[in-house]
Amino acid sequence: MHLNRRQFAKCVGAAAGLAALGPAGKAFAARDKEMNILCWEGYNTDNVLGPFRKAFPGVTTRAESGTSDPDMINKLRAGELKVWDLINVNQPWARQQLFPENLIKPLNKERFLPYFAKMSPEFSAPYPLAFAESGELIGMPQRYGPFSFVVNTDKISRETAEDQGWSLFLDPKMKGRYGVLTYDNWNVIHLCMTAGIDPFKAVDDAGVKKFTDTTKAVFEGAKMLSDDLVAMNTALINGEIDAYFTGGTYTASPARFDGANNIRAITPKSGPVDGKGGCVWIELTSVVNNPDGSPRAEDFLEFVQKGEIAKAVSFAEGTYNPVSQMGDPETFKLWNTAELDAIQWDSLGEELKRSVDFSVVPNYDDLLKIYTAAKRR
Amino acid sequence: MERINQRLGALSALPVVLFLAAGFLAPLIVVAAFSMMPQKVFSLANLPDFSSYAIMVKEGYWESLLVSLAMALAATLILFVICWPLAFAMAKVFGRFTLVLTIGVVMTLFVSENIRLFGWVLTLMKGGLIEGYWRTWTGQSFDGLLYNVPVIIFGLVYVYLPFMLFPLAQGISMVPDDARQAAFDLGANRWQIFREVELPLAAPGIMVGCLITFVLTAGAIAESKLLGGRAVIVISDEIERAFTYGQNWPLGSALAVTLIGVVGTLAIFGVSRIDLDAIMGRRR
Repeated sequence: MHLNRRQFAKCVGAAAGLAALGPAGKAFAARDKEMNILCWEGYNTDNVLGPFRKAFPGVTTRAESGTSDPDMINKLRAGELKVWDLINVNQPWARQQLFPENLIKPLNKERFLPYFAKMSPEFSAPYPLAFAESGELIGMPQRYGPFSFVVNTDKISRETAEDQGWSLFLDPKMKGRYGVLTYDNWNVIHLCMTAGIDPFKAVDDAGVKKFTDTTKAVFEGAKMLSDDLVAMNTALINGEIDAYFTGGTYTASPARFDGANNIRAITPKSGPVDGKGGCVWIELTSVVNNPDGSPRAEDFLEFVQKGEIAKAVSFAEGTYNPVSQMGDPETFKLWNTAELDAIQWDSLGEELKRSVDFSVVPNYDDLLKIYTAAKRR
Repeated sequence: MERINQRLGALSALPVVLFLAAGFLAPLIVVAAFSMMPQKVFSLANLPDFSSYAIMVKEGYWESLLVSLAMALAATLILFVICWPLAFAMAKVFGRFTLVLTIGVVMTLFVSENIRLFGWVLTLMKGGLIEGYWRTWTGQSFDGLLYNVPVIIFGLVYVYLPFMLFPLAQGISMVPDDARQAAFDLGANRWQIFREVELPLAAPGIMVGCLITFVLTAGAIAESKLLGGRAVIVISDEIERAFTYGQNWPLGSALAVTLIGVVGTLAIFGVSRIDLDAIMGRRR
């Protein structure tokens, strides 16, 4: 075929015109044949997505795993609201950032409230922090876990760690023997606990002073800092450190499942928040306030409530975690002894009783500044 | 005729200029604009107050910048000393073996930086390759070699070696053998030849190698995170933290703009002093 310059220009013009029309045409099409999930690792695995794809043939399902809550939230803020249909983050980020800023929308209560009844006792009430202040259901809880600190029980016994609690990290004997897993928002909460302050209440000047001194002491005594849980577990297993500040079943489970049962997440027996010293995280999976959202988003949310899918989410890859659906005896049967041991099922109940849900830290900005400066030194 | 040609030239360059403006300049402008915004806003529709720059000075973020620049300088100097003999051999001695060496060095770039660094973690950690063998053979144990500043600089040197090596080899290949031989004949010793013949003639290569490694190492983050256990906090770490856990885009942008400013000034200063045409082998 011979093409002269004029014909070529015509073709290019037509192609450009079509390309310009393309996205516009797509924006008005119903998106019931596709769905995109932004999530922590697990929901993006074949074990979870495979069965969904089978149950909903013809629906293109994509999932991307984020490396932190704020990373994922940044994506929505930066204009990807039109891309994602579901987002899976920890409860405070959903309640404090996503919902107030209209980045997620409430769920249909009639459809989802019945699922709470079959969940573990902590969630069946239903779980209050799955709701916004105004009462809307903003996400479904699934994975959760106590989150305080982790020790090597060959070096520090579980009893000692639980009794001593957060003051373990201020013990002169521990200097140079622990690491800090730098999940900043968690560190701030845990440093408050170590300083004997309730992080969820306004902190006065005396409290700020205590927080500053404690933060300095914890960083000065730390042998290493890392935001990588694998690096922390490796250092713990090879004896480089004997404990790490900020960690829980989420971080200890991969090492335990690999046979390192001496790595154990610890929940202190006492602490400054109404006598409690432990913290617990709970993920909420919420529907993104996508102007052209896929109706399959709520279908997926319902789909992952099923026993075998909940199990797949619990033991996906990377980390292993208890899920709220384990409250159903039929579902619970799907976990074997080794798996239950990895997620410390033996002590999970008592650990949860000693833990508080993490929520708004009123002085977060001020405390984070002190934390950041202390970390630098 | 000349004016028409010029106009046509400008017109033909227009698409590329627009593409560059949209793809390269626009993001930088957005970052610069965000850096002037009030704290913790997520939109540019606010009145600028430049508070992030004040915070940067008041709250010690400049310390991280200094740490990054100092480590970048150290890594660049070490790289220069290590790479010079190797680059010299590649340009003047090895002959065909240079190709093998080049492929060998380039091959390392095919493996992700994080994986290569994690390999070093496994080597240097307590119970790793070095300490593990030492303990088995001698019965004595010592702490791992990780989590300190020297190991971060080692990581920088290791990762950025190719970026110094190749420009340096290119620079050295520009030194005519005749000039060196003439200097020998006139009685110059080895040191004089290095200082007065090779260094000045290879200067463009040295400058390019030093600039590239300095700019890259100043913005490096993985070495301090993986090998250093954050023994010091580098500026890129602060930028990342401000954008994520801090949820403070203006502060992160201000830190980024400052880093770009400092490194950019150094780069422009360096580039203005070398003859890029010469290193590309073109005559003016």
